[in-house]
Amino acid sequence: MMHTPPTLITRVTGYCLTVVAAAALAGPLTAQSEMPGMDMSGGWRMVPMDPNMIMLPGLAGAVPIVGAFLPGEGINPANFPEAEPSQVVEMVDGDTLDIEVSIVRRSLNGHEIVMFGYNRQYPGPLIRAPKDATLIVRVRNEIELPTTIHWHGVRLANEFDGVPGVTQEAIQRGESFLYEVHVPDAGMFWYHPHAREDVQQDLGLFGNLLVTSPNPNYYGPVHREEILVLDDILMDEQGALPWGESAPTHALMGRFGNVMMVNGETDHQLSAKKGEVVRFFLTNVANSRTFNVTFGGAQVKLIASDVGRFEREVWVESVVIAPAERYVVDVRFEEPGTTLIANSIQAINHFRGEFYPHVDTLSIVTVSTETAAPGISDSFDSLRVHDEIAVELEPYRPHLNREPDYELEATLRVQDLPPAIVLSMEADTLFFPPMEWNDAMPVMNWLSTGDQVTWILKDRDTGAENADIDWNFKVGDLVKMRIFNSPDSFHPMNHPIHIHGQRFLVTAMDGAENQNLAWKDTAIVPVGSSMDLLVEMSNPGEWMLHCHIAEHLSAGMMFSFTVQEQ
Amino acid sequence: MLYRQRFGLAVLISFALPLANMSSVGAGEPGYCPLEGAEYYSVELVTTKNIPGTGLATGRADLSNPASSPFSVGISQDGSYEYSVHVSLERMKIPTAGRLVAWVTTRELDQIERLGPLDEKLRASGKVGWNKFLVVITLEADNDPEQSMWVGPIVFRGVSRSGMMHTMVGHGALQQENCAAYGYAS
Repeated sequence: MMHTPPTLITRVTGYCLTVVAAAALAGPLTAQSEMPGMDMSGGWRMVPMDPNMIMLPGLAGAVPIVGAFLPGEGINPANFPEAEPSQVVEMVDGDTLDIEVSIVRRSLNGHEIVMFGYNRQYPGPLIRAPKDATLIVRVRNEIELPTTIHWHGVRLANEFDGVPGVTQEAIQRGESFLYEVHVPDAGMFWYHPHAREDVQQDLGLFGNLLVTSPNPNYYGPVHREEILVLDDILMDEQGALPWGESAPTHALMGRFGNVMMVNGETDHQLSAKKGEVVRFFLTNVANSRTFNVTFGGAQVKLIASDVGRFEREVWVESVVIAPAERYVVDVRFEEPGTTLIANSIQAINHFRGEFYPHVDTLSIVTVSTETAAPGISDSFDSLRVHDEIAVELEPYRPHLNREPDYELEATLRVQDLPPAIVLSMEADTLFFPPMEWNDAMPVMNWLSTGDQVTWILKDRDTGAENADIDWNFKVGDLVKMRIFNSPDSFHPMNHPIHIHGQRFLVTAMDGAENQNLAWKDTAIVPVGSSMDLLVEMSNPGEWMLHCHIAEHLSAGMMFSFTVQEQ
Repeated sequence: MLYRQRFGLAVLISFALPLANMSSVGAGEPGYCPLEGAEYYSVELVTTKNIPGTGLATGRADLSNPASSPFSVGISQDGSYEYSVHVSLERMKIPTAGRLVAWVTTRELDQIERLGPLDEKLRASGKVGWNKFLVVITLEADNDPEQSMWVGPIVFRGVSRSGMMHTMVGHGALQQENCAAYGYAS
């Protein structure tokens, strides 16, 4: 029998009272298994749930307060062109690429559904270009929603950053915009809309931009390279669940999908030879889901992240990749047979109060008995240490451990949520996981919209929140930021923080110094944690800092700062 | 008034000086000053009062992201959180016989791992790779690294914060649910 502190007794008692109050308020329970797929008012359909889950009192029949949106609704999907797999576009300095944003038809999980596509491809074209090239990309919008393209992680000229209302006006249907994309860093980048990402990105608007280094030994030798774009989509028996029309649904936790995709496919497969070393470029384009990617029993070497390589290569058991992050791993497949690339998590069942293991297969790798040639085991078995990175980082080291110049606190504010949600959530504050790996409260999450939830980044010095934050820097400034993810808010959740147009180092987590640095543009802050960043202000303009959970971004968790020329 | 100002200044200095030195002290070390929010990753260790000298003793186990993790959060291949654990006891009279040993165990007690003996400062460190777990301090006859299960009396114990997430079956608004259907005795 555990000895329970009085404070805990008080809180648990409060919880009981609150749940009872919710029941009294709302009437009988609803068996959740009867509800999914059911047509509801306003064009909504009941969000899918684990049949073992119970709907909280007061939520039966409730729908989000915003209207429902599906692209091409009422039109036979057959009227739209079928999307095709992504194609590689090799570009050199000065080349021009035309991208059309249009409605496409996809076949997913046995359903014909209407989605969006860049050049009718899923994902969008894979652009390969050499470091320091300048690419011209002419974007024409043919979908009903205003859009832009943000070149995620690329330190390009501010006017081409793709943020509507900040760097450009949104591209309306039938209009075009010319982007000049200069790529000063080698690595894997990606592009996506910066307008209603929760809808447009989820519907297929994303693509990779692979910038190659002139250094032939930038990475170690491998037999081949593969792109893995990780995504999920929320579907039921009728197809994709509608999105919020005027504001996002799922504003509390973000929209987790229940169908996993790699490169837009639900049945991704690869083949490899025995002993083959494959370099995987991983990009997480999901709205909210952080993946824990495992490669069966294969050996995995982590070599690079968003904007560059780690100082030292390291062996890892899995790759934790948050929305918008990229990682590069080399994987050796040694055992003939089948190896599963999977998302392996400990999900939460709030009803039972339990964690439970959950594995989603992302890709099936069939390893043949034929031995890969040439043999590169020696190089794979060694972990490279990049002295040149250590030299490059030398000017930054005196700043790694200094106190932060700016401190942000991540929290949220809610208004007008259904009482049953408020009562339940306020009681459920004894424990929130550092990371949300699954949507353990699908109905409550679905019902929370961007009109009711405001996610907040607060400047702790001034008290300014989100768009009211006024930060000004000069080119060359090295700015130390501490981002604290408060565990005491209404519903704390992990936040993948993205900074536009600049690069940063994660110098410490919860005060523990990072011993293996890599330049990044996105990094996740678990609940209750403090993450220290050293941001190099190298690129003039007005730039965004925001959470990359699409629904959190749409619910306010963003602000812009300026970097002026010296 | 002046006295009050001086007194206030002295109080400020007396707090500020040790704090200034604490920034380089690691979790579990004397004088450790955790960052804000660290309580979210702290396990309160509660005395059983089973041995003399522990009536007023307090303890805690601080969890931190393992230094070896290249990610913001340490996660194992099966998705479990991985933490470095730093145990510390205070206001504790060191027993004259036997060794205090720190353990971690699942809540079902079906898996137990030995963190190791507490040192003369009543500190111990190790790792844990479960999402819900207990930290247990026992008084063992000696320090046996091969020991797989404690045999001595439990002196302190605490549950990870995730242990506060408990079933709602048969509880409050959900009490009309059939508990047996969910694997619980009704």
